[in-house]
Parts: sequence; C-alpha cells; structure tokens
Amino acid sequence: MATEAQEAAKIEQLAHANPDEIEVAAGREKEQLEGWIPSLASEAETREALEKAFDYRGDITITRKDGTKVEGYLFDRRSGATLESSYARVIPTNSPEKVNVAYSDIAALAFSGRDTAAGKTFEAWVKKYWEKKAAGEKNIQIEPEKLD
Amino acid sequence: MAVPVSQAWTVASYVLKQKLKGRKRYPLVLMLEPLFRCNLACAGCGKIQYPAHILKAELTPEECFKAVEECGTPMVAIPGGEPLLHPKMPEIVAGLVARKKYVYMCTNALLLKEKLHLFKPSKYLSFSVHVDGQKEHHDFAVCREGGHDIAMEGVRAAVAAGFRVTTNTTLFDGADPNSVRRHFDELMSAGVESMMVSPGYTYDKAPDQKHFLGRARSKKLFRAILSNRKKSWQFNASPMFMEFLMGKKDLKCTPWGMPTFSIFGWQKPCYLLQDGYADTFRELMETVEWSNYGTESGNPRCANCMVHSGYEASGVNYTFGSLKGMLETARAMFFGSYKDNGAMKLLNEWKPAQHGPLVQIAAAQQSNELQGVSGD
Repeated sequence: MATEAQEAAKIEQLAHANPDEIEVAAGREKEQLEGWIPSLASEAETREALEKAFDYRGDITITRKDGTKVEGYLFDRRSGATLESSYARVIPTNSPEKVNVAYSDIAALAFSGRDTAAGKTFEAWVKKYWEKKAAGEKNIQIEPEKLD
Repeated sequence: MAVPVSQAWTVASYVLKQKLKGRKRYPLVLMLEPLFRCNLACAGCGKIQYPAHILKAELTPEECFKAVEECGTPMVAIPGGEPLLHPKMPEIVAGLVARKKYVYMCTNALLLKEKLHLFKPSKYLSFSVHVDGQKEHHDFAVCREGGHDIAMEGVRAAVAAGFRVTTNTTLFDGADPNSVRRHFDELMSAGVESMMVSPGYTYDKAPDQKHFLGRARSKKLFRAILSNRKKSWQFNASPMFMEFLMGKKDLKCTPWGMPTFSIFGWQKPCYLLQDGYADTFRELMETVEWSNYGTESGNPRCANCMVHSGYEASGVNYTFGSLKGMLETARAMFFGSYKDNGAMKLLNEWKPAQHGPLVQIAAAQQSNELQGVSGD
C-alpha cells in the first residue's frame, strides 16, 4: 500500500491523461524515511506511520507500551476499525517467527534499519559505468549487496 | 506448438473444468518465490530490496509443496530472487514434477550451466531464462557486462542436455524493436522452445523510476515488434495476450490469475503489487477487494500495467470464454503473422532512445553530457 503523497506523481499524471495515452509512466518520488521517528500522538498519525513502515524496505523498531522492543522487517499490517483490532506483522531480525503487535500496544516506532531501496539510481549506474570504462575496467556491474 | 500437447491439454481441461464448476475467479499459474536474494541487481527490479535477514530466508520444500496443493494450478512458475541460489531447488523442482505440475523455473542463468546436473530433463520442467534483449540491451538491463554471454551459454547447455528451455524478456522505455526482433532470431537459433515477452511495470522499489513504459508506448512498441511476425518465432504466451500488447484487443486485468506465495505468505493482490499478505490461499481469494485493482479500477498503481501476470490469464479466459474467443485464438495460432505496413513503417522510423543501451549512451557521452549526472 502507498499513501497518496507517495503516489502523487502517478495521480497527477492520471489527472491529465488517459492511461491508454500515456507514453512514459510516472514513477515514484523516494521519501527519506531512514532514521525517522514518527509522532504517534493521534490515531491518524499512528495509522499513517504504520502504513509507511509497511512500505519501507528496511528494518524498523517497535517499542511496546510495556517497554519491550521488536526489531525487524514489517512485512504486513492489518487495519481494523480500532487501534486494538489493527496490528503490525513483523519478522524479527533474530528469528524467522512472525510476530503480531497491536497498534494500540505501540508506544514508539523508529525506522531504524537502512532503507535497502534507496540510493541506487539508474543515473548513478550509468555514470559509474562510464567512469569504470574510461579507467579500463572489464566486467563492470552493480554487485548485489553482501549478506554477511 | 509453443508448448507440448500434453501441457496445452492439461491447461485447457483445467480451465474448462473451472468454467463448468462456475468458478468466477480461479488461478492459472502459481508464482512461487522461494527466496528473494539474487546474484544480479537490475535497475528495473523491485523484488530484491530487503534487509539481509529477509534475503537470507527461504521457503522449505514442504512449504512450497503445501502452497502448490492449496492453490491447485496446473502450472507453477518459480521466480525470485534467483531460484538457483536456493540450496534445495533441485528437491523443490523434483517434488513439483512428481506432482505433475508444469514448472517454469525462472533464472538469470548465471549459475545454470554449473547446476544443470542437479536437474533431470522432463516434459514437466522448463528453464525460463531471463534474457532482456541482444547483448548490449541485456547487459544494460541487468547492470552487468557479460551477463548476456553467460546466460546464453546456460541456454545452450540446457538445450544440449535435453531440457525444455523458454525465455522471458522484459522491455522498458528505450527498447529498440528492431533489436528485439533480432533478439528473437538469436533465441530461436539457440534452440529455445518458445519465448515470453512483456513490458516492465512501475515497481515502486526499483532503482530506476524514470523508464517505465506507458500503455500508449507499450502498444506502439509491441505492434512494431510482433506484427509481420516470422514463422520461426514461437511464443510462450496466449495469442490473445499478445494481441492485447499490440493494441488489437482490450482485456481487463485478472489480478488473481497468477497468485504469489513467498516467505511472507500469499501476496495481496498480485505478483506486482504488495498490499499485504494472507496466510492461506483461501484467505487471499476471500479478503482482497479485487475491484480495487486493474487499470479500469482507477488505481494509479495499476495505470500502466500490461504485464503478463495480470493479463495472460485474461487472454486465456477470453479464449475459453466463448466460441468467438476460441475461433479468434485458433485463427491467431494458425494464421497470425499480423501483416501490417504501418508497423513496418514504425520499425523503419524508430529512433533509439537517448538513455538506451550503453552503446547509445556512448554517443551522448561524447558531448560530455553525462559529466553533470549525480550518483550515489
């Protein structure tokens, strides 16, 4: 799911063009969410923050109201009528078991992990390619990230 | 035939059975994603951006088999990530073949040659090798110089070892239809059984957010590529889906046609969009508000989608939905060369995009235009 702000470019494009007449489809502006600690003062803020956490491709840290913490990847959220019936679903960094946390139990949320979808632009790849080519390098590539 | 007769028969009888049962929504292909990690980092891919502990996770063979039983489709595609990085992939494939599922194991083929001995040729197994175009186009798309040559070496090795080999080509803005047609010639010469081709989709997480084809350009591009078709080309796609790509037919998205199962569960609603996960296939089918998806829904995230995972099933459904659909499909299969002078003109006048494959960027670089481009 994405918020309207995240989809603004596509919404703007569709406001002026029929989908069947679009030549190049709008992408998405990246939000800088890494390190963000949202305010969860209201129900709307809590829901918005957890929606962004679901969209985020790094780990997050949830601090429950009892002081315990869950750090991991928020892979899903279920939005109910109330905060009690809404919950975040997390795969912790240290366990493969899926953990559910009710929105109403959340005291704090932090976008604590690195955003794995950020910073690798296509333009950067092209620029690096030509720099390496000029330096005489062979087998130029973008390496997948090391996992250890 | 682009697929073995037994496969065509299995799929046709499955679809007809669903229709006779009166099922409004039924899946056609299970997209089984046993892992997300990959040995490439392609600019157009939004599948591999996860923290390390997620990229290290993988489905067990038992979890894969359970998902396949739940879903019940006659065909299973195994994308990823790169499936050949999964240590138990041979066991997973063997288990699916034993269940008489037609398996398309999608791979970038970087490891195919060295891992080939772990698999047995079968009419139920096809390696679906991702090759995004001729050498320079492919290397550009996968952001790796030399990737094309390794992939084609894998293709040839698999063909020589008696495996069914199909290919999968994804096209983005900047694709050159003349080059794509030469690419088809090369693939058929290499002995592939059939080819699949699809426009790229606006993956929100893809590093490249500026080169996704809009529907108008997709139709133009595919009309140029797929009209005036050579007899030697075999496609692994519904003829109606291909007419849809060429702008000759309107189809509505079938978002439940190719459901996806991964370490997170059943992906809502489809292979390309992530709106959450269901724990069972039944939950997926019953809890997704399907009317919120597809171009006709007005959902901005679906606006440019013409991808096979949404529309291939629509094409199949169209074929089996009426006598007219069957006749149109038969006509397309037996007489569909799609002679089109306008398409030929398009081909002859096509101007390569500025940001196209690396050789074309070289021309732009001569004027030092790229000096000012910022990077990470």
